Amino acid sequence: MRGHTGPSDEQLWIEEFEAAAKRPLPLRVRYAFIKTYRPVLDDESFRAFDTMDEYRRWCEANLPDWLGYGRV
Amino acid sequence: MGAFEYRQAEEIRDAFARHGVRYLFIGKSGAILLGFPDTTQDADLFVERTPANGEALVAAIRELGFDLSALQASEMLRGKDFVQLKNGPFDLDLVFAPDGIERFSDAWDRRIEVEGFPVCHPDDIIASKAATNRVKDRESLPRLRSFRDYWIRSRS
Repeated sequence: MRGHTGPSDEQLWIEEFEAAAKRPLPLRVRYAFIKTYRPVLDDESFRAFDTMDEYRRWCEANLPDWLGYGRV
Repeated sequence: MGAFEYRQAEEIRDAFARHGVRYLFIGKSGAILLGFPDTTQDADLFVERTPANGEALVAAIRELGFDLSALQASEMLRGKDFVQLKNGPFDLDLVFAPDGIERFSDAWDRRIEVEGFPVCHPDDIIASKAATNRVKDRESLPRLRSFRDYWIRSRS
């Protein structure tokens, strides 16, 4: 746990933004993109939805909550 | 399949340019191209929905090595709002009507070019995530808004 005298989230974020700005784009991309298996979502090779609302409702009905695709 | 790589972003950029596809990187992948330090799994592209652009998109996607059936290609051409591709060399989300952005042309006019990659303005990325209102977006939005302010300051 961070103490009350430590830097704020905002200050920490700005330090992270400044550090990222010094990295070349290929390195930023390498650090940013990860691959982990997501149940259900990664189990089909192609999906298409007529509307974004249909997609959101599909996510809420089919994906585990912990993936975070449900609406607040 | 491994994580999305920079050379694959270049392949998208180059194939889409060859076929004249009008598109923008959006979502967290767009923010990352702008300099936002975070992690994501997907490359998200906001694609202009016109018949000609759809034809160009299907040709470019196939050139990139995606195994699109005739039915899948026709679905992409028929005007779906969202298409998720996991049948190629990397995963790709194609968004034709992102929440929070009225028209592609508006986002196009505000786009940022990053080393040849067309990227949505941070305000559009934030507007889209805010409108979507998913748990995972709600958690990342304060940091993304802070990045937007930093990004604006660093450009002035």
